[in-house]
This record gives sequence, C-alpha cells and structure tokens, in this order.
Amino acid sequence: MRYKKNKKTVRHYLKVYFLALFVSLVIFGIGSFFKPQFDCANSITCKSDLTVSVDNNAIGMFQGNKITPPKVDLDQAILQSQVLGVRISSEAKHIYVDLSTQTLYTYEGRNQIMKVLISSGKWGRTPVGNFNIWQKLPVTKMSGGSGADYYYLPNIQWVMYFHNDFGFHTAYWHNNFGHEMSHGCVNMRLIDAKELYAWADGPTNNELGTAVSVCNQFKEPGTCVQDNPIN
Amino acid sequence: MTTLRQIELESIFLISIVAASSLFFVIQRNNNYQPQLSIASAIPAMSAPSEVITSKVTISSQISPDGTKKAIMKVTQNPDDTSTYDFAVADENSANEKPIFTRTLDLSKNMTIPFNTWSPDNKYFFIRENAGDNKSVFAFKASGIAFSDTEQYFDVTDLFSQKNTGNNFEEATGWASESLIIINTTKENGTKGASYWFEVPSKAVIQLSTEF
Repeated sequence: MRYKKNKKTVRHYLKVYFLALFVSLVIFGIGSFFKPQFDCANSITCKSDLTVSVDNNAIGMFQGNKITPPKVDLDQAILQSQVLGVRISSEAKHIYVDLSTQTLYTYEGRNQIMKVLISSGKWGRTPVGNFNIWQKLPVTKMSGGSGADYYYLPNIQWVMYFHNDFGFHTAYWHNNFGHEMSHGCVNMRLIDAKELYAWADGPTNNELGTAVSVCNQFKEPGTCVQDNPIN
Repeated sequence: MTTLRQIELESIFLISIVAASSLFFVIQRNNNYQPQLSIASAIPAMSAPSEVITSKVTISSQISPDGTKKAIMKVTQNPDDTSTYDFAVADENSANEKPIFTRTLDLSKNMTIPFNTWSPDNKYFFIRENAGDNKSVFAFKASGIAFSDTEQYFDVTDLFSQKNTGNNFEEATGWASESLIIINTTKENGTKGASYWFEVPSKAVIQLSTEF
C-alpha cells in the first residue's frame, strides 16, 4: 500500500499556529477567571457591617474557642477616635507591612515612627498592593468563616480599612504576633493598634487617607517588594 | 475528510505542548495568591523586651498586649559565675510588683521573656530557659498562685514530652487564645513536625491540622 505524501503548506502551519494560540488563550482565560479574589476578609460582616458596633454582653468565637471580648465604652472610644492624626513632621505619612517578617512600619517621609510585630493572613491571604486608608472605626465587630473556621468577634477596637474590609485592628483573642494568625486583616496588639489609629489619617473631603503598602519584603521606603500586587 | 487528515500527530503534539505550557503558567501565577501556611519564623530582634542595666543587675520587661501589665526579669550576675533570674509581674506603671519565680543558672544557660509571653487575658504568662539548642518553657499564673499544691508552674516542654506525640518540642510561639499555648515541633529526622495547642489549666495537648 502506498501512502500519498502530504505536502504541508504555509496555510497549514498558520492554521496550527492560530489553533495553538486559541487553546492557550482559552486555558489562561479560564485560569484567570478562577483566580482567588480579594473581596472580603470577613465573609459575613464584609458587606453589611462596616460600622461602629459595641456589644458588651456578647461571647466571641475563634478557632472553636469561646472568647470573652473586652468591655468597650462606646462614648469614650468615639471621643478618642475624633482626635486628628498625630503628626511628628510635615512629611507624608506611609504605612508599610512586611509580610516576610510580620512587621509593620510607619514613616513620615524617611523618618521611621513605628516598628511593631503584627499578624497577617493565615486562613485568608492579606492582599499585596498599594492602598489608602478609606475608613476608620473606633470599634466594630467582625465575623466570617464556617464550620470549624467560623468566627465571631465583637468589640474589635481601632479599626482602619485599607482595601474593602481588609484593615488594621486590635486582636484581643490571641497573642501570637510575629506569626500569621488572621483571615487577611493585619492584627495588632491593642497598644500598637491604638497608637497607629491615633497617628494615621482617614480620608477627608480633599485628601485620601494615609498611604498603605503591603509588601512581600520591605527594608526602607522605596524598597517595598510586591509579587503579584492586586493593583 | 480532507480537514481531518490535516490534523496530524505533529499538530496535536504542538498544541498539547502549548496547552501544557499555558496551564503551567496559570497555575504558577495563581499559586502566588494562595494562603501561605509557612513555617513560623523566629521573632525579629526588635521584639526584645526593654532593658535597663544597673551595675551587675539587668532588668528587662515585656508589656501585655493591652498595655496594663508587665512581666519583669531581673538578672543578677553572681561572683561564682552563675546568674540569678528573678521574675515578677507588675502594673504598667511598675506598681503592685509581685515576685513569681527565681532560678539560678550557670553560664551555659539563660532565661528570657518572649515577646508573646502574656495570655490575651493577662491571666498567664510563660518564660523560656535556653540551654544551647534546647529550650524549655515554663507557664505561670500571673496572680502568683500555684497551679496546685505540688506545681507552682507548668514545665510545658516536659509535659509535652510526656505525651509521646512522636514529635520533639521546638518552640512555643505565643497564645492562640486565653489558655492555649502554640507549640511547634520537629520530627525525629529534624524536619518540621505538627503544631499543637497546650491547654494551660488542664495540661491537655491537642494536635492541630494547621502548622504555625
């Protein structure tokens, strides 16, 4: 039996080329569609409860453990939160989070103001990118997860959101700072969160809130390494 | 029929290569967005407690997360080449200082107050004894009251070892809740082992599915 040798034309190769290109674009497109999104840190309160909230009779829940939240005097908290951001110099304020060392830095220009240990996302990733504080709340509640991962945490103080409901706030339910422990927010000790809250600015009519950079690695201003930032 | 004949093995092979490459790159990219369950790293040096040196006595302290209490360690250098470690707790302003524990060690050992020493509700704290690569962790009630008639404190390292988990105590990083100390371990071959909770009042050891 003789096979007829098939002579390939340029047109044939062009067809194969465009077919291959089409297949790769389809796969990349589908893969990108299923890319994890950074819409919410707290799946239950994310959309509905970004407001001031105090419940001094509630019992919290985290990692299957009941938590007794600290009592919060709402009037006092609001009074303290109305103080304008403390300023050391006239230079621009900037908050940097180094995920590799779990450390938060604050700067005015090139002058370092704070350096403290934090806990970033473990059960949900903290978004890497450049943001501005868009809301400050002296106290609120956060809830999310499901099953064994369900959590309900009222009376969280000194909250500052920088991307949707991803924000800086006190974590009274653990003391494991320097290690990942959150669902995407940046957990801080009460004393550190309160100091940060007093220093940082929320948005005003004319200006954005204090700049925030979440970095994979950071040494000093201008050296924020960001792998796959979301913006 | 003519169109079918044109799809030769060569073409299918080329498309498969391109598809596999695309899949690889998209998986690689998406992996960068996954939550990282990394092995806990050591606390950076900046977390060291505040320190004051007066003659042969060194005083350091660690404030509680809410800023209301502090754990204090006084280290006295003795003439016989030993050091005496005195631990106490006090209010933020150093009032109401209460002695908790004293230990004298030779120069091959030392003691420290970890950054995450305080339980979130300030009822307990733990300290660390370092002997070369070996670390021991002791947990105390901040009230100064003993856990029982025979136990002034819990030797967390020793109690963990008694549970025969198959892993070796490596480090206590901090508190997962008001009563749970997070313990990291290593396997016999030296690789990273499971993480555990040590429950302070009950001395229970609970293995975790998540590594800290």
